[in-house]
Amino acid sequence: MLSTMISGAVYGVQSHLIQVEVDVSQGLPCFQIVGLPGSEVREARERVKVALKNVGVKLPPMCINVNLSPADLPKNGTMFDLPVAVGIMTALGKLAKEESEGILLLGELGLSGELKPVKGVLPIAREAAARGIKRCLVPIENAWEGALVREIESFGAANVQEAVAFLRDKERKKVVPDVQEYVVVPPDTEENLDFSDINGQSVLKRAAEVAAAGFHNLLIIGAPGSGKTMLARRIPTILPPLSLEESMEVSTIYSICGLLQSAGSLKTTRPFLHPHHTITGRALAGGGRIPMPGVISLAHRGVLFLDELPEFKRETLDILRQPLEDRQVQIARSVGSQCYPADFMLVGAMNPCPCGFYPDREKCRCTPYEVKRYLNRVSGPILDRMDICVEALPMGFSDITAQGKEENSKTVRERVMAARQRQESRFAGTKLRFNADMGPKEVERFCRLGQGELRYMERMFSCMQLTARAYHRILKVARTIADLAGSDRIEEIHLAEAICYRQSDRKFWQ
Amino acid sequence: MTEKSKRTGMVTEEEHAYIHWMAQALGAGNKRFLRALSELGEPREIYGMAVSGKLADRLTECFREKAAQLSENSRLFDVQGEYERLTGRGIHLVAQGEEAYPRRLAQIPDRPWVLYYAGALPPEDQPAVALIGARDCTEYGRYMARQFGAALARAGVQVISGMARGIDGIGQESALREGGYTIGVLGCGVDICYPGENRELYEALLARGGVCSEYPPGVEPRAFLFPPRNRIISGLADAVVVMEAREKSGTLITVDMALEQGREVYALPGRATDPLSGGCNRLIRQGAGLVSSPEELLEEMLGAKGAEARAVEGVKAAVQTELVFLDGVEGELFSVLDFQPLSTEEIGRRFQEKYGKPIELPLLFQTLLELCIKGHAGQIGGGYFMRTS
Repeated sequence: MLSTMISGAVYGVQSHLIQVEVDVSQGLPCFQIVGLPGSEVREARERVKVALKNVGVKLPPMCINVNLSPADLPKNGTMFDLPVAVGIMTALGKLAKEESEGILLLGELGLSGELKPVKGVLPIAREAAARGIKRCLVPIENAWEGALVREIESFGAANVQEAVAFLRDKERKKVVPDVQEYVVVPPDTEENLDFSDINGQSVLKRAAEVAAAGFHNLLIIGAPGSGKTMLARRIPTILPPLSLEESMEVSTIYSICGLLQSAGSLKTTRPFLHPHHTITGRALAGGGRIPMPGVISLAHRGVLFLDELPEFKRETLDILRQPLEDRQVQIARSVGSQCYPADFMLVGAMNPCPCGFYPDREKCRCTPYEVKRYLNRVSGPILDRMDICVEALPMGFSDITAQGKEENSKTVRERVMAARQRQESRFAGTKLRFNADMGPKEVERFCRLGQGELRYMERMFSCMQLTARAYHRILKVARTIADLAGSDRIEEIHLAEAICYRQSDRKFWQ
Repeated sequence: MTEKSKRTGMVTEEEHAYIHWMAQALGAGNKRFLRALSELGEPREIYGMAVSGKLADRLTECFREKAAQLSENSRLFDVQGEYERLTGRGIHLVAQGEEAYPRRLAQIPDRPWVLYYAGALPPEDQPAVALIGARDCTEYGRYMARQFGAALARAGVQVISGMARGIDGIGQESALREGGYTIGVLGCGVDICYPGENRELYEALLARGGVCSEYPPGVEPRAFLFPPRNRIISGLADAVVVMEAREKSGTLITVDMALEQGREVYALPGRATDPLSGGCNRLIRQGAGLVSSPEELLEEMLGAKGAEARAVEGVKAAVQTELVFLDGVEGELFSVLDFQPLSTEEIGRRFQEKYGKPIELPLLFQTLLELCIKGHAGQIGGGYFMRTS
């Protein structure tokens, strides 16, 4: 007899619904799974066989064939255990066909018959909802993930018996987790970071605020111990919270990587990733035989912080060039090409020279050549994508001991969100979201200057020896500063500040 | 060189070719051998001896091997062809005793017997000042080198220096910008641009100034070649001005040479705590002239020579027009600035300390840039500012 179950698989960030077809018929006893199963899928045979035996379902000596359709899509993961087990029981007539109809089944089986959590429930459930499926049955630990998708009723089961009982009597074992509990921002238990922790450094903090408001990439140059890392860690606290849509995107990526489970909730805080400088290109961009998202995709909609920028391998950093431009990363492998979202804010921190104290000539004895060589380790194209560049000063004693009232993250975030709102209304109907997304054409359209400001820039252009590229960057940043100030027009004072955030021209370092 | 060439003061192109042959064959160094050779006669005659293999017989035992090498070289070297190629590349040479040999250089005891140059040789009728100093200079040194270079050029004084990183290059660059003449004395062949980062300056010197070296073209820069070239820097100048130097600095070699050659030595004073002014301050204590501005230097130099006071006036006028009265925030902020670069953060802090009121960051940025445009301040990197007037 034939039965068909609905399950799902994740490929890259794409989710697909998979038909699990099970046929049990007379013939030489066998149990096989076809349809490009990966090794963990193939091993489902053993798990299902033993688990069913241990819950009292004896497999008759018959020919069991399982097909995962569409058959040309490579399948990985352990979520097919449950649909295969239920499929066999249905094909054997132990469950009525209509009992499992229209229900998405996902779950890994233990040998005793318990259901174990799996990766990727959230994206599969979203895909199922889009295809008109109304219910899903998943391991109890994953039930809340399914419940996050509004169109789907999510049910959790702890073992095969519970799953079967649910299928027979849909009302009996209904688990609908309280979704609100998972959507609400979880308290920051690990470390309570706040902007007010940073004493002094007003220029640095202001630059971070501007960067956050326009989602500009930020480069911090400063001596060791000047608070570069401290500041970068606090940038997510002034970024606006993720919208539900963004939160879903981010959570999808985390779900695929199996990281959502440990988080225990939907990702509602902006990711902050700070890979060590020994990271490989593959770990950064994503990859592997079966492509998996890399660090830059995990930083999607959040902050990717690269500390000690010149210490990163040049080739590794150069991988970032394309994602910084396209906001996504294309990974091609023999099994196919994958596209992962990678819309992150790049925050880089570096010392100005090998010893870290340039241009303080009393402490720094690095030769100009050494300084130059150190800085040249970061390739020009990466530096070109840094809209805002700011220098961090070594902390003085008065800074460390100051008990002054510093602004907290909440206050800064409010200003940032107001600036974001202005951007949203300005870019309504376009693909752009933030000022940093603007290309040269959009800069021309949205950053138009008045006569007086044009003259001002003209003077600046010759006096400060600006380049055309720097000019566009300055306009973009000035737009954000004007947004922060609540001004529709870009004024001189906004331009002046943006000019001060431009990249130190290379001559300085010689 | 011999009496003959000294008398006529004219050396034919043909003879230049033989001089070039000898210079390139000897390369850098070999002073004793050179002296022994020049006692034998003109380069042309030495070439004849070398080709015929008789050179070794005319020299003492210890030069036998070198003479053999020279003979070998003479057989392989296309004397006239190589010289034509050299001049084709815009490189010329002038030998000791020639009319064109720089007059000031001819006065020094250890003058080079041949000087290669590209571009123009220093004009004899202009006073000459050597602007020298540390390679890893501070912003202060950088700024003063710029001021001196420009002011000297405006006053019609040529600037002699070593085209090195730091003070040397900056001084020459600003002299060129003002349309003055400046020559770079190199420690390698004149066809090599060292350091490579001064490529732009090197090209500008070829076009509007000059570069010279006692080493034949193709000689790579080596550490031991640089101290000897310092005697040419001071030799080409009437006076030497040290802009910035540590207590133990290569710049002080040039000063020693200058004193040996009887040149005036001036130094720019700095702060006692500043290691890069240590050398200058010590020079002053030892009796070097103190110059704190280009016009002081010009007055000392030109006044002593009774030369045009007009040039001095020109510089003074240029300096005075820069003194403008600043009011409001600009004036307040200007008074906080220093000749050392300060970060924006620090400037804001000092402002608050001095005036007891905070200054909003955007206003601070705007005012600082305004000062920059007006020429009262300079922006270094993105976040540092310093006074420039």
